[in-house]
Amino acid sequence: MESKGEIDLQKHAKDIVNNLAVIFRSAQIHDAANVAVVSSINKFTPMVNRLIKAEGAISIELVGEYFFVNGSRVKFPSEYIVSFEFLANEFTNRGLGSITFSDSIDVNDMQTLVKTFITSISAPEPLEALMEGMQNSERITLGKIRIQKDDEDVEVDARMAVKKTYFNAVSFTKGVMKKMSSGEKVNVKRAKRVVQSMVDQLLGEHELLLGMTAIKDYDDYTYHHSVNVSILSIALGQKLGFPRKMLLDLGLAALFHDIGKLDIPPEVLNKPAELSEEEWGTIKRHPFWGVKAILDIRGIDRSSITAAIVAFEHHIHHDNTGYPKRQTAAERDLFSKIVSIVDQYDGMTSARVYSRTPLTPDRALKLMLSRAGSQLDPILMKFYINLIGVYPTGSLVMLNTKELGLVYGSTDMPNRPKVLVIMDSNGQKVDGYLVDLSRKTKDGRYPRAILRTMDPNKYRINLAEYML
Amino acid sequence: MPDPEDIKVVKDLLQAIIKAKKNLRIYPANNPIYAKTVNNTHLKIEAIFEYLDEIPLRMTRNEILYGGEPVFKGVGKDDNLALFFSRDGLKDLIFKSGLTKEEFQSFLEIVSYDFDSEDIADDVITLLWEKDFQNIKYTVDESILVEEDEEDYEEEAVKQVKERSAGEDDLTKAYSDALKSEETAKEIQLVPITDKDVTALAALREKVARDKKGKLIDILYEMLLMSEDFYEFHEITAIVANAMEYSIKQGDLRTAIEILWRAKTFDETTVTEFDSKEELNHIFRSAESPEIIKVIGDMMDEEPGIEDIVLQEYVSFLSRNSIPQFITILGELKTIKARKSVVNALVFLGGKDIAVLAKGLSDSRWYVVRNIIYVLRKVGDPKALDYLLRAAGHSDPRVRKELLKTIGESKGGPKAAAVVKDCLDDPESFVRTTAARALGSIGSDFAKRVMLDRLSDGKFLSVDFNEKKEFFEVLSRWRDSTVFDFLMKTVKKRALFKRAKHNENKAVAAYALGLMGNKNALPVLEKMRRSSNRFLSEYAYAAIKRIEYGKQG
Ligand SMILES: [Fe+2]
Ligand SMILES: [Fe+2]
Repeated sequence: MESKGEIDLQKHAKDIVNNLAVIFRSAQIHDAANVAVVSSINKFTPMVNRLIKAEGAISIELVGEYFFVNGSRVKFPSEYIVSFEFLANEFTNRGLGSITFSDSIDVNDMQTLVKTFITSISAPEPLEALMEGMQNSERITLGKIRIQKDDEDVEVDARMAVKKTYFNAVSFTKGVMKKMSSGEKVNVKRAKRVVQSMVDQLLGEHELLLGMTAIKDYDDYTYHHSVNVSILSIALGQKLGFPRKMLLDLGLAALFHDIGKLDIPPEVLNKPAELSEEEWGTIKRHPFWGVKAILDIRGIDRSSITAAIVAFEHHIHHDNTGYPKRQTAAERDLFSKIVSIVDQYDGMTSARVYSRTPLTPDRALKLMLSRAGSQLDPILMKFYINLIGVYPTGSLVMLNTKELGLVYGSTDMPNRPKVLVIMDSNGQKVDGYLVDLSRKTKDGRYPRAILRTMDPNKYRINLAEYML
Repeated sequence: MPDPEDIKVVKDLLQAIIKAKKNLRIYPANNPIYAKTVNNTHLKIEAIFEYLDEIPLRMTRNEILYGGEPVFKGVGKDDNLALFFSRDGLKDLIFKSGLTKEEFQSFLEIVSYDFDSEDIADDVITLLWEKDFQNIKYTVDESILVEEDEEDYEEEAVKQVKERSAGEDDLTKAYSDALKSEETAKEIQLVPITDKDVTALAALREKVARDKKGKLIDILYEMLLMSEDFYEFHEITAIVANAMEYSIKQGDLRTAIEILWRAKTFDETTVTEFDSKEELNHIFRSAESPEIIKVIGDMMDEEPGIEDIVLQEYVSFLSRNSIPQFITILGELKTIKARKSVVNALVFLGGKDIAVLAKGLSDSRWYVVRNIIYVLRKVGDPKALDYLLRAAGHSDPRVRKELLKTIGESKGGPKAAAVVKDCLDDPESFVRTTAARALGSIGSDFAKRVMLDRLSDGKFLSVDFNEKKEFFEVLSRWRDSTVFDFLMKTVKKRALFKRAKHNENKAVAAYALGLMGNKNALPVLEKMRRSSNRFLSEYAYAAIKRIEYGKQG
């Protein structure tokens, strides 16, 4: 039955991709004829053949950061992250876009593929070498990487949509908080919708919405902060392999994490001078007030419980220091651990009344890294750094081409992000054009690389203005 | 403009969806009509996919458009599919070929929800979103999410960011500094994620409880301890009470018990500057509110029900105020198991206030009254008898019977015996015999007197044989000479009229003598055994055997 086949495919797609990664990985260590390789090939072929029977053919394609099997995106659990990233890198490094199995394959077919795949990387033109090597195979065909459509129009449209989502979220949050402080009922259904569209954006145009979180030095700090923490938490959750529904809960909880600040008198919250001990005491009560506000206004249900827990725990540290002080020690919720990392990051990189100069993203990460294991969960911190990257979005960078630009988004290569160039190689201000440092030219070279990073705050340069 | 033929089939499809919406509401999922409806509607859409790759629909308030042409017009609120989708801001709905039956069924189920009357926390868009359909896509008008007075927010914010942006000078400075700088070091090193990290992450995820109620309760109790004044304490207890109600409505009585247990311990162990006891009482009060007890009752009747031990633990936190509502649900419960549990609960609660419990005796449902009588008996309070005696004249004989049994067991004093005496005149035979047995259990001289009077009464002669036998059997429990003499007299009596009826009396008197086991009765019984009346002879024989060999016979 056709529908059954589809379900089967969705179920097995992740295993196929994972298995293929395992084969290439062990072949890299040993060689194609090694027992380990053969045994993983023996596992792989019947799986693929069974699906070929149902589907006619199986194609594994890499588009952007995602694998697609026969056109549907492969959803994978977090234990496959390493495999998937490995395979994506191996594909990208060879310029390989897809492998299609069009008829039942056997062990020999696979060994030819594996051998060719492994040796091709040292060829001057890996993809050509690969294609040549597989020329005689009728059952396995290869495709080159599809250039993602990012001509100006598509880029502009995506930017518009992301912008809309971001500002909708901020103004919605502002509206909610205003309503709450005047004791009005808040529509939770709408909050869910706001977070859904952020989740959708992040699952699609990943880096663009992340880039919007660079907008922070602004009067409506709390609203932007709430939205930024929500966006970054969802992105981290996505990195951790959370399913969509869980991302929605996480995003909602993050959006409301500081809702208790509404109860802090503005003269304390916005005090430009050093806070007295008593005033600090007041600030430290916002987790308490947050729980109260969330459960009062939203009533009690699954998602408000999650949000209340995060509101209570987001300033409690990994080592149980922080605030509020509990009588009985308890392990923090996973969502609280995530939000506390993101909250610190967004706080440090924002200009606020009590710390006027924000840290650059990489400085903030460095400081946070020194707190991994004491204040912050070390494992999640590692994933977070991998999310933000060596060159976090918003970093000011000088390229080896003497172009000056801002990091705009990540690619598969942590050292080669997308950069928005704002000064050309002659030192002339330009309108801002996008370059992808992971893209090679036809002759297989990288035309651009990052030379050094600068502090954008020192020059009042903000990615936000270029995104708008 | 689309092909008129296409417009027609899309129109048909929408009508089929409306029909499916109705059927899915009426029939439960295991009904064949439910499955048939899903099947047929799916066949209909599959037929369209024979020649169309997708079916894009545009939603407006009262119309659905296909290729700009109206294919559905809704009027009012009922069956208005256009309004159903558009009111939450859904703009386009696109079905794509390849739509599976499973997907389409989930979709139809969402469509069949009644968002106005059912308690659904999500809107239609959130439900669609959560399903993440592969072959049903939609677009949303997000402007409905923004408050009216925040409509210009985006414009304002953009303006402000631009105003603060770097000037030409800043850029030039940055550029020249960047050229001059020698620095190439990066601040942080990217450490690749290893298999070990992934395993550690899996362990972190493992620890996340799917049900976070327990964690919330921990936090709420921490918050009770952190409360700085009466007002805060008051607010937190209200939330705790809500959390408890929520748990119960979720079918989780154990968490509710945990909450009550904590409230009790808090009260016993923590000293506050204000009257915390009164505040904590709110929690206990909501645990016994009629609404909550009703919810518990409904749960008890459904699978898997509530274990008796769990219900009793919950009830142990309740006060006498919960008695009336438990009596109410006692009359509504359908399963025996549930009723038994509630009866047990009432036995515990009744001990706290027997007067309130006894009010159940005036319940209009006879079976409730009968249960309450049982509960009163089990409570074992001496005062219970007073209440029971008041209910003596209940209109239902089954209640009267239960009552007499209880009075008999309680061995109440003269007042009880007097009430029982009246019941010997009950119109129902089984009530009269129960009354007789009750007198036997009471066993007092007065009771004996009443029995003897009744049996000597001329009217007793015409009573049904089995009832006679029961009465005489009761009498035989007083193994004294008065009773012996009375029985001997009855056996020896010579009657001229109504001989058959007299013979019945003689037979059951012989039976009673047999039960008494007094050998002095043997000569008279021997004589009776030789009677030409077979009926008398057999009874006499059985009685002799019983006296001679003890119980058997
Ligand atoms: Fe906070
Ligand atoms: Fe915060």
